[in-house]
Amino acid sequence: MAAPVVSVRDLEVTFVGAGRPVPAVRGVSFEVAPGEVLGIVGESGSGKSVTSLALTGLLGPSARVSGQITLAGIDVTTADAETLRQMRGRDVGMVFQDPATTLNPVFPVGRQITEGQIAHGTLRREDAATRAEALLREVDVPDPGARITQFPHQFSGGMRQRAVIAMAMAGNPRLIIADEPTTALDVTVQAQVLSVLARRQRESGAAVILITHDLGVIAEVADRVAVMYAGRIVETGPVAEIFRSPRHPYTAALLRSLPRIDDDPERLTAIPGQPPHPGRLTPGCSFRPRCPVGHGRAICETEPPDRDGVACHFPGEAVAAPPAARPHAASTNTASPLLEVTDLRVEFPIRTGLLRRQTGSVRAVAGVSLSVRPGETLGLVGESGCGKTTTGRAIMGLIRPTAGSIRFEGREIAGLPRGAMRRLRRDMQYVFQDPYSSLNPIRTAGEIVAEPLRIHGLHAEMGGDAYVAGLFDRVGLPRAMMSRFPREFSGGQRQRIGIARALALQPKLLILDEPVAALDVSIQAQIVNLLKDLQRELGLAYIFIAHDLAVVHHISDRVAVMYLGRIVEESDKATLYARPLHPYTRSLLSAVPVPDPAARGGGRRIILEGDIPSPARPPSGCAFHPRCFRASPLCASTAPEFADHATVPSRMACHHPMEVAQ
Amino acid sequence: MTSYILRRLAQFIPVLLLASLGIWAMIYAVPGSPVGALVGENATPEQIAAITARLGLDQPLLAQYWRWLTAALQGDLGQSIQSREPVLDLIAKRIPATLQLGLAATLIGLLVGVPVAIASALKPNSLLDRILSAWSALALGVPTFWLGILLILLFAVHLHWLPSASAYIPFFTDPVRALANLALPALTLGLYISGIFSRFLRAALLGELLSDYVRTARSKGLRERDVIGRHVMRNAMLPFVTIVGLSLANFIGGTVITEAVFTYPGLGRLLIQAIGVRDYPLIQGCILFILAIYITINLLVDVLYAYIDPRIDYH
Repeated sequence: MAAPVVSVRDLEVTFVGAGRPVPAVRGVSFEVAPGEVLGIVGESGSGKSVTSLALTGLLGPSARVSGQITLAGIDVTTADAETLRQMRGRDVGMVFQDPATTLNPVFPVGRQITEGQIAHGTLRREDAATRAEALLREVDVPDPGARITQFPHQFSGGMRQRAVIAMAMAGNPRLIIADEPTTALDVTVQAQVLSVLARRQRESGAAVILITHDLGVIAEVADRVAVMYAGRIVETGPVAEIFRSPRHPYTAALLRSLPRIDDDPERLTAIPGQPPHPGRLTPGCSFRPRCPVGHGRAICETEPPDRDGVACHFPGEAVAAPPAARPHAASTNTASPLLEVTDLRVEFPIRTGLLRRQTGSVRAVAGVSLSVRPGETLGLVGESGCGKTTTGRAIMGLIRPTAGSIRFEGREIAGLPRGAMRRLRRDMQYVFQDPYSSLNPIRTAGEIVAEPLRIHGLHAEMGGDAYVAGLFDRVGLPRAMMSRFPREFSGGQRQRIGIARALALQPKLLILDEPVAALDVSIQAQIVNLLKDLQRELGLAYIFIAHDLAVVHHISDRVAVMYLGRIVEESDKATLYARPLHPYTRSLLSAVPVPDPAARGGGRRIILEGDIPSPARPPSGCAFHPRCFRASPLCASTAPEFADHATVPSRMACHHPMEVAQ
Repeated sequence: MTSYILRRLAQFIPVLLLASLGIWAMIYAVPGSPVGALVGENATPEQIAAITARLGLDQPLLAQYWRWLTAALQGDLGQSIQSREPVLDLIAKRIPATLQLGLAATLIGLLVGVPVAIASALKPNSLLDRILSAWSALALGVPTFWLGILLILLFAVHLHWLPSASAYIPFFTDPVRALANLALPALTLGLYISGIFSRFLRAALLGELLSDYVRTARSKGLRERDVIGRHVMRNAMLPFVTIVGLSLANFIGGTVITEAVFTYPGLGRLLIQAIGVRDYPLIQGCILFILAIYITINLLVDVLYAYIDPRIDYH
């Protein structure tokens, strides 16, 4: 085996500041060989990003680093600043999470791609444009010659991330560190970017460290996996082995807590509790408080474990549940609809020119029809910009619809006056995506949950503080936390507060807008289970808006797929996932990374070309036709009707639906 | 961009109209009458009536406003009651002086403030940062009239290097004498404004240094001076340009106290003199001019934004 590109021995990183020192990385060792892809997987706070920054010497002055890091022959922990600067860009290239912020907004993309090489003196200024163009071409950016003079905001998210990959590869580094490179991207774009990254890695023979929280992405691309928890690698091994027979209970629990599109259990197996804060670790094994294996065993509470490369005193006792497709009771809900939306349209005017005349409109929602029955969950799924959030907000009356009908319990509510709409919101509540910004930071959790009651003047009538305390019980928060402020809660707990607030008025319908998208995998399962329990106990109807097809698959009874302001396909869950009719649904499903390395390749993946068009300039005919692999001239001229399919119990809008496999 | 500038210029019209109404109505809002100020205490009622009629003050209010407005639109801001000279001429004579002082002071502010901010931001909370922050606070805190007097005592009275009273000498006719006359008032204002500039720029730089693109720039192997000097600086310019524009407008509008200390013939002193003798047409003219300066510089700042930040798209 060739000498490793990077080797890390006993790496420890501690942040010192005003308070107690925070040990973020506690004794991490690994090697990556040329051409190898090492996946580092872990939840937030596990130390995976800090490790990658330590590798490149990019940690700030508050970090104390010890141990040994050898990257391309350079001893990183002892090298001076100038040596490290020359190493970056030449020996190691980096790709970061959010392509919207990793590029400097005020400089042209081409200049940013070659800037590092010019600084290293390996590229002459007069050759920079040609080089940037070639690099962009290698990552499949169309028309690279014109693109190099454009600015980042003129690129789509996927294009920007390709540009960042081109930038990381510019100096032909021997190691690429990609830190959550596709987390901020839509699933079809994620598939494009991952395939570009994999191809460029093969072509260049570079080693890759891929850091992610997404086990599906790891299963797709990694050769070897290191699982991190609380600043340590708890388990490492070849990707197939880790997924087939995990030896650490955390790895096993993580795999079980994932919702999957190839499995349909009644409940997810959530990991209880939450990942520890690096500054407040328990002695012994850090996973002990959440571990299903070690309970009551004295050694777990005293000794930090390390056996045969697995950080567990009892390795191998944890078993991953094999994915077993259990038939799910088909939805037999025949009650009359609670909510019925017909041909909903929301348009935002575009004003330009000297006199600010309306010269066009953004059709955020272009004719959506859906219905939700009591006690039922409708999953509304689509990529960013498809209009799913706008649909949810228009139903709530937070955005005024341009046209269409919204009937709640048989009564028309579109365009109701403010007062009547406010009374109606007792029956219809909203849970927001970001639990960090949707709670007022200067009010206590108790006040936040009680606020809807006070707004509607029902606080005393509903039972006052005792009732609010009951809501805390209901969402699984200790009553003692009522007097605390949002900043004292973790992300998952904050989302519970948001759910308790939405439940306060005893609504019949909850609109859940990406309620778990900002949460860690293990916490996500807890919240999804909570939502399912609440639905069963209270008979709630949900509209579950999400981009994550696996989560939607788990929680929904029926699923509607949106593309560019329209619903392109709608059916009961089992039918939609097993027999997708619309080519968009088909490619969306194929793009979801499945956490099973055995399913890798196999030619099942359809990678869509291009990006989602702007809703201000939707394509003619069927809005999907420019990206569709089944499109015909008819699709470019005539928009298909949203109608029932002849044999499959689905409604869809397509001239050329997928053939139905019998 | 052209469309944007035209639209902004069109927005000037209602702003200036509204302001002109306020400026014109000011005469009636303050106690005392211009006639009284003009004729003195011993005037007979006949004299007062004659002057009132000559100034048009006996006309209905709206008619007076209309006449003033139509004249102003044709560039006629009336005559100074005091000197009988056209108001426009009086203002026009002061503009070069005031412009020269304002630009020189802003330049000094930038030359001192920008390096101070960069040095501070490179090593935040270091000893150097704390010394420079203290310097900025001092520059801000010392009253300009007092600093002006200290400078006069040192450079004019003791050392005899520079004149104590600053005349206006156009820079392009006699640069040496112009600089000698300009040095003390420009330094007084420039040091003061450098305190504001350095504080704003330091805060903007430190904010930008936390951005993701800074980490990206470092990961490419750029030198730290290029990370700050190119990547961070350009982004920090946005909020900074606003402050520089506002202070420049402020200076060009006239710096009453500094001009008084140095007996400099700027717009500020013209306005103060006009207020002293209730020379209403001149007061109105000065304020209208200052307002126009503010609006124009604001527009220039907004146009500059588009050059600094390509995301800003004026359509």
